[in-house]
Amino acid sequence: MADHDLSRSADAPAGSSCDWLAPGRGQQARAAGLAVLANLIWPLQAAVIAHALGGLLTGAAVSPVQVGIGFILLGALRAILAAKADAMVDAAAIRVVSGARAHIVAVEGSRAADSPFGGAGSIAALAGEKLNLLAPFLTRYAPARARVMVVPLVILALVLWQSWAVALILMVSGPLIPVFMALVGLAAKDASHRQMAEIGTMNDLLVERLSALVDIRLLGAGDAVVAGFARQAADLRQRTMAVLRVAFLSSTVLELFAAIGVAMVAVYVGFSLLGALEFGTWGDAMTPQAGIFLLLLAPEFYQPLRDLSAAWHDKATADAVLTDLAAWEAARTPALPGRGGAASPLPGPASLSLRGCVLPGGLRLPDIEVNPGETIALVGASGAGKTSALRVIAGLLAPVSGAVMVAGQPLASRNADAWRARIGWMSQSPHFLNASLRHNLTFGQGGSPDRALAQAAVSDVVAALPQGLAMRIGEAGGGLSGGEARRLTLARAIHRMPDLILADEPTADLDAVTARAVVDGLMAQAARGATLIVATHDSDLAARMGRIIRIGGDA
Amino acid sequence: MTALWRIFRLILRTQPAALLRGGALSLAVLVMGVALLGLSGWFITAAAAAGLAGMGAVFDVFRPSAMVRFLALGRAAARYGERVLTHDATLRTLEMLRVRLLGGLVAAPYQRMVRLRGAQAVNRLTADIDALDGVALRLILPLAAGLLALLLSFAAIWVLVGLPVALWIGAGYLLGAALIFWRSARKTVGLSRRAEAASQAFRSRLIDLIRARRELAVQGQLVAQVDAVLAADDRRLVSQREQDRAERLTGAAFHMLTTLVAGGTLWLGVVSVQAERLEPAFAALGVFAALALAETLAPLRRAASDLGRMVEAARRVSRDLAAAPSAGQALVPEGAALQIQDLSLHRPLSQASILAAFDLHVTPGETVALTGPSGSGKSTLLLAVAGLHPVAAGRISLGGVSVADWDENALRHALALLPQRSVLMAGSVAQALRLAAPDSDEATLWQMLEAVRLADMLRARDGLDTMIGPRGEGLSGGEARRLVLARILLRRPKVLLLDEPTEGLDDATARQVLAGLRRILPEAAILIAAHRHVETEFADRVVRLT
Repeated sequence: MADHDLSRSADAPAGSSCDWLAPGRGQQARAAGLAVLANLIWPLQAAVIAHALGGLLTGAAVSPVQVGIGFILLGALRAILAAKADAMVDAAAIRVVSGARAHIVAVEGSRAADSPFGGAGSIAALAGEKLNLLAPFLTRYAPARARVMVVPLVILALVLWQSWAVALILMVSGPLIPVFMALVGLAAKDASHRQMAEIGTMNDLLVERLSALVDIRLLGAGDAVVAGFARQAADLRQRTMAVLRVAFLSSTVLELFAAIGVAMVAVYVGFSLLGALEFGTWGDAMTPQAGIFLLLLAPEFYQPLRDLSAAWHDKATADAVLTDLAAWEAARTPALPGRGGAASPLPGPASLSLRGCVLPGGLRLPDIEVNPGETIALVGASGAGKTSALRVIAGLLAPVSGAVMVAGQPLASRNADAWRARIGWMSQSPHFLNASLRHNLTFGQGGSPDRALAQAAVSDVVAALPQGLAMRIGEAGGGLSGGEARRLTLARAIHRMPDLILADEPTADLDAVTARAVVDGLMAQAARGATLIVATHDSDLAARMGRIIRIGGDA
Repeated sequence: MTALWRIFRLILRTQPAALLRGGALSLAVLVMGVALLGLSGWFITAAAAAGLAGMGAVFDVFRPSAMVRFLALGRAAARYGERVLTHDATLRTLEMLRVRLLGGLVAAPYQRMVRLRGAQAVNRLTADIDALDGVALRLILPLAAGLLALLLSFAAIWVLVGLPVALWIGAGYLLGAALIFWRSARKTVGLSRRAEAASQAFRSRLIDLIRARRELAVQGQLVAQVDAVLAADDRRLVSQREQDRAERLTGAAFHMLTTLVAGGTLWLGVVSVQAERLEPAFAALGVFAALALAETLAPLRRAASDLGRMVEAARRVSRDLAAAPSAGQALVPEGAALQIQDLSLHRPLSQASILAAFDLHVTPGETVALTGPSGSGKSTLLLAVAGLHPVAAGRISLGGVSVADWDENALRHALALLPQRSVLMAGSVAQALRLAAPDSDEATLWQMLEAVRLADMLRARDGLDTMIGPRGEGLSGGEARRLVLARILLRRPKVLLLDEPTEGLDDATARQVLAGLRRILPEAAILIAAHRHVETEFADRVVRLT
């Protein structure tokens, strides 16, 4: 009789191909057993009350101390069992959530390319807040489901033992609830999804306006935008409410049947005790004890159903999260060669060769031979594969076919970390870690960054920062100009004194003076003997390199 | 806590009717629930007594049983009304908080706005707002309705059953619940703060891991970063476990409270009946009412565990909510010659000087290009002229009046700034343009698009109805740049400040676009932070910053 409001009766919410919930399942089953056990203490407590109040009427001996203490001890047992069951589901939820989280982090840490699932923000949201939303499903909905399967049946059996008429009332009103709920629940399910979608839409609208705040302010459009947003929000609310009004009918039907059921039991029991009704029991007239016992059990018959219906929202939310997880799982990318861990540098000369390399996208790279100490410019149209070529050379991307030789040996997962330990990397759009400037330059590997800062002509910029090297710089170098951020990435690339430097468009978007400073910094590295490879559109920069290799086109 | 109270007062002020009606219905649901169970208990016990005494025939069954049915149906109906009203109020609260937040941030200092460009900051803000939707409905209303229901029940039980039982139930629930709630809330506030800090660390470290994965791999720090991300989550788990434990303890404590109050009532009832001070039926009423009152405690368990999160969210959000608009008496001058005298500027959020003793005069119709290496203060100067960056010393005046004294609306009307980065919102091209001038006709829009050389491209697509995705998706960088320029032209400013306006355009287009600007605004004073030859060439005068 469970699942009155679900189209499917499955333990796992829809949308998952991989079983994310498996780690908590065993513990959850044990917890469900305990929770059911806790619920089944209530009939005993009810019996104590019935014994006491009934005894007062019939004149039987009742010890107030015994019934009081008996009731309280049973209640304590129930509280302890319930807390134990909660502790187990909490632990199961933590296991499921942190297991999934660790999996996401591990996978994200071993990708060679960005996930097509979405940007870093949406993956962080999935691994953070969204995964947390699985917990209420595991701690509220799943135990409620387990209770629905057992508790009403046990209560029905106890009731039947006392009176078949009361059992009939419960049986008729109980199963009818799922029937009515199924009817109204179809609307409710839709409504709940709609409501969540609407709140999501409202959030998206707000996020978009917040991202464009500066532009809105500069256009003097603040009032108009706020007014427009208020209108849209009010409109969304009204539409959502129209759907919700219908949706709440389903839970009202449940309440109504529960209420009518309890009221009918009360009236029937009252009339029986008066002697006005003489059917429904097994022979003898109903005793006051039995009457009170029945009245106390009736609400508890409906309670698990009400709990389940209240937790339905958790199930819908978990469904949405699992759908997202499935989409994330489906977004596959090539794996990073090696682990990205610290390693001692690969021995051998800083030479490399690429032969017949084909990129995962199908692009074919020209064969490239580089000797130690050479300076090379990779040129070619946008999208021809310059950046990918740098990544292949750095062992950040494995070609689908072809051979990459570095320092006289084939580049493979086992030596990728050691090869990268010799490389200085300067990407086109630097990302600064949410850490101090010092950490951003040295990556926690010690050494003073002063020499690298001086060579990158950026010492005075750092000196002018309010907290110097201890300054935290934001997501994309906030607070620094584009040129300053670029020179800092140069300092970062040369801090380790690498013998191969790979720079992707090191002078793009820079004014002439800054561009010259960056190029001079790179040439100084070549002068001390480092191999230098730049991918560039900048013909001035390419002209300063010893050799130009064309990528794409008729290469 | 004070911030949370402020948010609640704001909610109460904006929708008192919805809250009062929702609260009244919550109270009705609770009271009817207590009455239903109490009456049922009394009814069957009294009926049993009458039956045993052979008085069954004269016992009035109809009024109590009608009352039982009325309460049962009434409670279900009140429940429906309560659900609808409180959800309506929740949605209204969310709506109001979001609108207020947007209103507050539109007028926020420039540096705060810039920080909100990051997806992280915005997500955090929206998560905070989501946490606050329950301030009224999961925290304050259940507390108030529960308290009132308890007081009403206390009075009714006093009259019907007697003072000892009423005192035991009323004082037991009130003091017990207050104690449990207070202890639990005190504990969760600290835990929520720690859990939130750990979640923030997790999020930003994971974002670093994803965005900088190549840098980290080359530096051999990818594995270390993965460990750091997981360490942050472990830290969160410690708080989470404690929070879970505290919540379980709270739940068990509420459970025990109900048991103690009901068990004690049973004991008191039995003693009173045996001393013949009370009828068994009224003892039953007391016991059943004590059991039913447990329902008033149910929302408190959740409220106590949510309180920490709400307090934190309220603390962060309340400073950004719109204050009541202040009636400034700012000046609205005429004329628009731009005069900069002996100006000093500091770097954003620091005391380090970026520009000192700078003088510049730009007359209407004149174009001045600012050049200088990156970091020499070009962008900061433009921001200061637009009134978005504080002036450390000296004076910037427009039409003879210092920009700081201009009325915000008048200043935005007279002066337009094209920042280095712009964000386009999803919508049609016409909508994007009309953000600047809502009343423009189509001919005007096309005129501006012609000036920035976008008209042909758009005609080939859907014209003014061409759709733009979120954050300008569907347009190339250069197209987006030109669309933003066209939008600024629509305002016909007297002073035009352009920060690297031709970024992303090839030389030929850049020249045409700049010429188009001047054609539309022949009388404007134009100040350009230039980084390209095309831009300096276009200017009447070049000023070099060092």
